[in-house]
Order: sequence, then structure tokens, then C-alpha cells
Amino acid sequence: MKTPSLVIVAAARTPFSRAGTDLAHFDAVELGRHAVAALLTRTGIDPMLVDETILGCVGQPPEAMNIARVIALRAGLPESKPAMTVHRNCASGLEALTLAHAKMCAGQGEVFVVGGTESMSNMPFYFSRPAVEKFTAMNRARDFTGRAKAALHFRPSDFAPIVGLKLGLTDPVSSLNMGQTAELLSREFGITRDMQDAFAMRSHLCATRANHLLNQEIAPVFGHNLVATDNGIRADSSLEKLGKLKPLFDTVTGTVTAGNSSQITDGAVALLVATEEAAAAHNWKPLGRLVSYAATGCDPARMGLGPVRALDAALHRSGWKLDEADVFEINEAFAAQVLAVMKCLADPTCARRAGLEAPLGEIDPAKINACGGAIALGHPVGATGARLVQTALNQLHASDGKRAVISLCVGGGQGMAACLEAL
Amino acid sequence: MNLKQNILIQLKAMKTFLNCPSIIHDPPHVLEDIIHGHPMPPKHFRLDVDFDGIAWITFDSPKSSVNVWNEETLREFNHLLETIEHDTRVKALVLRSAKERIFIAGADIKAIRTMQHVRVNDLIWLGQAVFDRLARLKVPKIAAIHGACMGGGFEVTLACDWRIASDHDSTKIGLPETQLGILPAWGGSTRLSRIVGVSKALDLITTGKLRNATAAKRAGLVSHVVPAERLETLARRLAREKRPGMRFLFENVFSPVIGYLAKRKVLEKTRGLYPSVTKAVEVVTHAVHGEIEKGLLLERNAVAELIKSRDSARLIDLFFKREEANKRPAFSGTALTIHDATVIGAGVMGAGIAHILASRGIRVLMTDVTNDSLARGLERIHGLVSDATRRRLVTKVQARDTLDRISTTHVPVPLNRHHLVIEAATESMELKKKIFADLAARVSADTILATNTSALSVSDLAKTVPHPERVVGLHFFNPVHRMPLVEIITLPETSPDVLATVVSFVQKLGKTPVVVKDSPGFLVNRILVPYLMEAVRLHESGIPVKDIDEAMLEFGMPMGPMRLLDEIGLDVAAHVAKTLANAFPDRFPHTDALDKMVAAGQLGKKTGQGFYRYENRKEILATTHSDLPKHESIQTNLALLISQEAMRCLKEGIARNADDIDLAMVLGTGYPPFRGGPITFARDTGIIDY
Repeated sequence: MKTPSLVIVAAARTPFSRAGTDLAHFDAVELGRHAVAALLTRTGIDPMLVDETILGCVGQPPEAMNIARVIALRAGLPESKPAMTVHRNCASGLEALTLAHAKMCAGQGEVFVVGGTESMSNMPFYFSRPAVEKFTAMNRARDFTGRAKAALHFRPSDFAPIVGLKLGLTDPVSSLNMGQTAELLSREFGITRDMQDAFAMRSHLCATRANHLLNQEIAPVFGHNLVATDNGIRADSSLEKLGKLKPLFDTVTGTVTAGNSSQITDGAVALLVATEEAAAAHNWKPLGRLVSYAATGCDPARMGLGPVRALDAALHRSGWKLDEADVFEINEAFAAQVLAVMKCLADPTCARRAGLEAPLGEIDPAKINACGGAIALGHPVGATGARLVQTALNQLHASDGKRAVISLCVGGGQGMAACLEAL
Repeated sequence: MNLKQNILIQLKAMKTFLNCPSIIHDPPHVLEDIIHGHPMPPKHFRLDVDFDGIAWITFDSPKSSVNVWNEETLREFNHLLETIEHDTRVKALVLRSAKERIFIAGADIKAIRTMQHVRVNDLIWLGQAVFDRLARLKVPKIAAIHGACMGGGFEVTLACDWRIASDHDSTKIGLPETQLGILPAWGGSTRLSRIVGVSKALDLITTGKLRNATAAKRAGLVSHVVPAERLETLARRLAREKRPGMRFLFENVFSPVIGYLAKRKVLEKTRGLYPSVTKAVEVVTHAVHGEIEKGLLLERNAVAELIKSRDSARLIDLFFKREEANKRPAFSGTALTIHDATVIGAGVMGAGIAHILASRGIRVLMTDVTNDSLARGLERIHGLVSDATRRRLVTKVQARDTLDRISTTHVPVPLNRHHLVIEAATESMELKKKIFADLAARVSADTILATNTSALSVSDLAKTVPHPERVVGLHFFNPVHRMPLVEIITLPETSPDVLATVVSFVQKLGKTPVVVKDSPGFLVNRILVPYLMEAVRLHESGIPVKDIDEAMLEFGMPMGPMRLLDEIGLDVAAHVAKTLANAFPDRFPHTDALDKMVAAGQLGKKTGQGFYRYENRKEILATTHSDLPKHESIQTNLALLISQEAMRCLKEGIARNADDIDLAMVLGTGYPPFRGGPITFARDTGIIDY
């Protein structure tokens, strides 16, 4: 049997909004519903044709376990069609796509809605274990006196919340938070503060320039007011402004600041994917094809290097050379991390340290993240992977390019990459 | 106790307690039969007495989807009660229905409509006596309500000790009698206030509104709400419990005050035009204390008087006309079920239509040319939905689902899955033609293209597209969620399938469709325009605005013509008037006053100045003194114009029949329902040679 090939038929996403701003009052369900509903509206397809919905979400809200199912139903997909949620941290949105391909290969469906959703504004706060025990004791008490007695055990510290977002951004194995892993890379690979700031500025300016292209991707959201554009992009970004920011993770000698890291953001992306045969049968005009993909592991403390080996594997599977690609989208978790990846791809010593036998080559800097990246647009963790697919295909079509390579570093020490071809 | 004795005691009690002569002279002969029982086995009921001693009475009229009270069912029920009285095994009684969506739909109004008054009075006696017999049964009585429980259907449950209801959507409870110009007279007006208190009873009876199970529980109409499958279990449990005693309701002490206030409010609202409501307030507040018999007598007297009036007959007629219009399919053609629809335009009408569609389970795509107009439209819909949630008309989940069903776009998207497109753009022929041409190129050839217009010619529009047989007009009235009427404008070429689909679509929205021919102003606006223009002319001739409005309010219109013009907007009114004046020259009262006001920028409520002055959208004109005789001549003059134009429409065949015209005017303009509609009014009063 011939392996089915996955084509991307259409894409739609919400605007990406800094956490706590325009989209803060929408939870991850609402954002995902919006993206999926907009996808259905844009394509005008019969929802009955969709075999399954697969969405990535890192911080699944407790009120919507298996968030993909909740979103699918609310967006108007039929009850009879299943839905599942996937989690590969920052690559969840891409994992949704590749899983759809795996299912196609296994004969488990031909048309999928995939993507990701994340509301980082709505990450929960938790109580500490002792506080939880005290609450439980209070609830168990039978009468008022009992409850009053149990309540006396509380101490002010019990009410200090544990920030869910902070937990999520800390690697439990190495106990480093993501920013600290970036600091580690900046030290080990000699990525200076200036290099990072320059890269960050470039991201903002590229995103500003590519504004019209990015806006095409967006289905406006109507909240308290109309939200139709990404709001993290700073057209006036400059080295001077970025230079003023204080390091966040190593306050004395550190180099990683809020300015040269990805933003904490709300957003959702939905893609309609199908086997090539199904797309042809329904007369759909696909945007592009998934040629190959790979997920690889690495040292959790150096998770930022994840893309190096993932790119190697994905390129190997597609048979492409690094310089044959027209568009690169490497997720900008941190400027230091992307710069380290580029160094590892090009420099033989660094390549060996990242686990490559030989460097893959140098990437033309103009090809990387030409529409800006997560430093400007933001990084709604569950959704970004799918946005890279959308943005990469969008760029290929705008520039008459043929091949795109996308990659993400993944918290917990992984990397994921995919090769895409415009159709 | 024997029933005959009962009645004699009742009568005695009435004479002693009240110095109020009965207008029905004797307990009629029907009661004689009751006492002798019913020889035949029941056709409409099943009685099963189980091992626990529970007597299950199941109401299940053969060959019908509904259960109603009429002489036959009441007699059979009475016979069952007699059997139970003599059956010593019986420890409890449960009344239930075997119908899927109906508990008991109330009295058989269809039969009552054609009955002689004497017979109606007999029926009232009969119902009262039977339900009273039920109330006097010594065992606990439980009404297990699943499905519609209205009027007499609810009154019988009031004679029970427990009322429990299923949480099913079809369960609706209420006493809608006053809407038909009568009042609950089988003990409902008497017993309800003793169970839930005077104010809630008055609210239920005077508004006539039906409540779902949850709302009914909140109002105390039922004690428990459980899934339908569990009604039996609960009934069994309650059968073993002690009968609930009469609660002391503190507020009932103040019934005279509450009654006085309620009556004042009712009179203010109805201007005494709806005697049934006023009467109901009187009966309920007087019947709350003392013997039940006193209340029953008051009910009988009141209803006997009301049912004789023409108003009640008209209200009942209208009720049936509306029921029919709500259910009747189009003459021929096969209706297609609409699941997805597109609404073009996110203005007041577009948003209103999108909202009502989505709230009825249809997925809607709302389009407009800019995101800003879409944002405004969605904001309006959000407002409507949150308003409905606040007033508990919908649950939070229903509200969320409604909003989820609406998607928007300002760029063209494929519409091939949508079988219905409703265009609700600004009233401009040019624009509409452009939209239709664009649509015709994008949708499939069998997609129904509907235009929501109040004045433009649908046939002109249909000419611009291939396959004009799929073009119809759908005239929704503003505000869409409140107005029950939709005019369906058909063309000679409209295909029967399209008409059938649109009729059933409008019915599914919970609106009443009236099919009309394409002609300037269609039906409602055409009839309204001469009336409004004459009102303007009268005002021009020196009659104060307030006097004109007051006269028509007294006629029973919900809003005076001047006020209505301000609401519509004088520019819109002038435009419609001009269109009609061009179509029917020399027919309408001519006046330049509107044009002058429009030119001066006085457009009515929206600009703060029309015939009235408004501040913050509230009228601020003080009431002027008005004199009555003048009112009468204004009234006759204006009412005549409405009826005349209605008759012309009938003769020209704009609507299919007189009933449709009457219905459209009542539902579309609030024409006083107790007058039956403009054509019935003309017929009844003889103001036009008919």
C-alpha cells in the first residue's frame, strides 16, 4: 500500500494577543472554538466530512478535559466525530498535525481538523498541598464548630497561590526554568546580550513588515471590541529600548530579558488537513504537503538545542539539503536559543556538542523567520506549532517558494521539525 | 360523602356566606347524571390499582395526540373517582398522561366555541363538581405532570395534594384563560392563590404565560422536578408520605391591598379593554379566603358573563387562527429542513434575524462588508442574549449555544452548503440587486434567496437572478425577537417547494407566517400607511399629538400612531409612504408634514425630536388634557381607514383570506386582538358595507 500523503487544505487562526490583554477574557476553549469555526466558515466544507479533530493544548483547563472534544462540539462539528487532545509541550500544535498523518497511514481517517489552542492568561493558580489538606478537613467537618476549628489551622502562607504558568515553564527534571536553559546556552555558545537583542529587534521589524501577510491568517475575534491583529509586535523596537531591559533569570550577569524571549500569549490555530486523494475527491485546492517530520530528544537543561537533531532527522527523511529550503521557521522561544541552534548547524565543534556528526550547513539569515517569530508575535505554547505551518505555507505562496522547514525546541529536552512543500 | 349532598351543602353555604345572587340559577341537570355515574367503561382513561394500593389514573384519549377536558372526559373521570371512593384498597391516587408531549391541554375550546351558552355553563358546573370531588378524596392525590399542562389541565392538578413535573422541554405549565377573554373557572382562580399566594397567582393568571418545569418549581406551582422516567418512583414515594397540610401564606392576609394594586396596574396597562384580566384579579383576590365554594361561585359568575361577550369569542377565534397558521403547511410542495443559513447584513434587522435563527438551533453565517459592522451586529446579539439570560428566558448553556451557532465573515466564503440566504441589507434597490447578482453567482441554483424588505419590490429583485422561482421576501418585523409575525412575500413564479420550505422554516422559528403577494407595502405596511398618514393630517389640522395617540390607545392599539411614527423614524415612514403613494395615486391622505420634519432633521426617537421630544430616548412631553367626544371621532375615522385598506387588500387578493389579514394586523401591529382584526371589526360593527 502506498503511504498516504498529508496535504494542508486551509488554515485560520485567532489574533495572537499578549496575555492579560485583548483576548484575556476568552479561555482556551473559546479561542479554539473560534479558530475551528472560522476554519469551517472559510472553507465552507460540510463538517460531516471531518473524521477527527486533534488539537494541542499544554495547559488544559480543568473545566475542559480533552479540550479538543469540547471545542469540536462547540464549533459545530458533528457529535459522531471523535476528538482528542495531544501534548508535546511547545510542539503540541505540530504534533496534532503529524499525528493526523500517522492516523492516515494507519487507515484511521482521511480528513482532520488539527491545530492548537492556549490561553496563557487563564493558567490557573494552585494551592499548596498543606493548604489543600486544610480545606479538605474543613469540608469534612460536620458542623459549624468543627468547621471553625478546622479553619483555625490556616496560616497566611497557605493562601499564597502557586502560579500554574511558572510551574509549566519549569522543567521538573533539571529543575531549570526555560529562561535558565536559555542562559545556559548563551554561556556555553557565547551568545552575547547584543546578539540576542539584535535578533529580537529583527523579529519585531520583520513582523511589522509582514503585517499584511500575517493579517491574512487571522479570523478576527469580536470580544468587548474587535480584535483583528496580533498585538505583541512593536514597530518601534530598537536596540536602545531592548538594551534597557533587565535580565530576568540571572539578574546579575544574565543576558536573557523579557525583550529577547518569546511573549506569553493567548491564541489558537486550526488547520484542515486531508489525504491527497481525499482533497482531490472533494475538489479542494491544498496549500501544501507535509513531506517529512521528526521528533528527537536531547538534554532537558539544554532543551533549546532540540531543533538541531530534529532538523537533521527531518531533512534526512525528506532527502532535502539544508540550503534547498526557501523558508525556515524556527520557533523563537528565546533569541539565545535560536542563535545557538544556528551556530550548531554551521559550526563543526558546536554541531558535535549538539549531537550531530557533521554540521548541516549555514542558513541564509534572510530565510529564517522572515515574518517575525514568537519574540514579536508571542508563543501560545499549544498553538505555535500549527502557526508555524500556516505561516510557512503562507510565505511560500507569497514568495513563490517551494520548500519550507519548520522546527521548535520543546521544554523537557526535545526538538521537533517538519518539511513542507507548497502545492 | 355523596356528591349530591356535597352540592346541596355548597349551595347552602353560598347562600349563607354570601349575599350574592347566582346568575346561574340551579345546579344544572348534568349533575344529576354525575350522581348516577357512568355506565360505560372509560374510553379516555385507564385505572390500575396496584398492590401498594395506588390507583394510577392514566389519561389517554384514543386516536388523538392530546388530552382535553370535555363533557365526555369529565364524566368518565368522575366515574373513576366514584369507583375509587368505593374501593377500600386505594391508599393513594396518581393522575398521569400517556401522551408524549401533553399532560392535559385544558378544556376543549374548539367544542366550547360552537356550544350554546347554557351548555357552556353546564360544562363549568360539571368541571367544578368533578374537580371538587377529586379534592375531597381522603387519600393523597398526586399529579405527575409530563408535557403541556394548561388551563383546565392545570386546574385539575390544583385539586391534588402534590404536583410533580418532569424536566422535559415539553412540560409547560400555566393558566392562559385570560388570553382568551375568560378566566380559570374550574377552581383555578380559587385554589392557586391558596397554594402559591395571591401575588404569584395573579401573575400567572393575568399574564397567562406558560412556565417550564424549573420556573414552575420556582413559583411553587410544582413541588418537585425530576426526569420523566422517575416520575413514577417519586409518585410512589409521595404516596406513602403524609399529605401536605395547607400552608399559612402571610401575604394572603393583604390580598385586598395586593388586589387593589394589581387591578390598578392592569387598568393602567389595558385601559379596561380586557375585562377578563380585571375580572380575574377580582375573583382571585376575593376567593383567597373562606370556603372554596364561595370562590367557585365567583368563578362561575365571572366566566358566565365573560363568555357571552363578543371579545372572548374574537380572542378564541384568533387563537385558533394563529394555531392554524403556526402549524399549517403550505398548500403543496415539499418542505426542506434548513440547518444552515446565511444572513447578509449585520444591522438591526440582520443581527436580529441571525439571533432568532441561532436561538432556534440553526447555524448562521452573518456577513457584512466590514469587520466593524460585524462587531456592532454581534454586540447587539450579545445584548439580546444576555438580556434573555437575565430574564431567565434561556439558560446560560442555551445562551452560549446560541452564540456558538453564529459565525461571521466580511470576505466572500463558499456558501454551497447553505440552502437559505436571507438578505437584510440597507433598504436600497441598487444595493440589493448587487448583492443578489453576487449571490446568484456563488450559491447553487436551488438555494433559496430571501430578502428582508419592508417596501421594495421582490419581483424587481427576482428579475436580476437566474432561477427567480427560488426568490421570496421574508419580512421580519422589528424587534425581531419580540414580533411574532413574518410576512412571506411570494411571486407568481415562486416554486411550491420553496414556499413550503420557507413556511415551515418560519414556523420552526416560532413565528407566525402569513403568505402575501408581492405588492407595494405588502400587507401590514400597506394597511398601516393610510392610517398613519391620516393621523399626521389630523395633527396638521390642529389636533394635538397626544389626543390622537390617546384616542387610538383607547381603541386598543398598543401605541398611538404619532408615537409609532417616532419609533419607526419619520424618514423611513416618509419613504414607505412615498412608495405607496406612487403605487396607488390619489388613494392616501396627502400631507407634506412628514417631509418638512425630515428636512428639519426631526426623524423621531433616534434624533430626539419627532412628534414628541425625547431625552436619553425617553419621551419627555407632559400629558395634556384630553376630551373624550373628540377622541371618539378620531378613533372612528382612523379605525375606518385601517379596515378600508384591509378590505381592499382582501379584494385584490394580497393575502389568501380575511383570516390571514386579521392575524397579520394583530400580530404585526398589535391591532386590538379582542376586536378580532380589521376585517372582523368591520364586519362586526358594520362600518363598511361588506
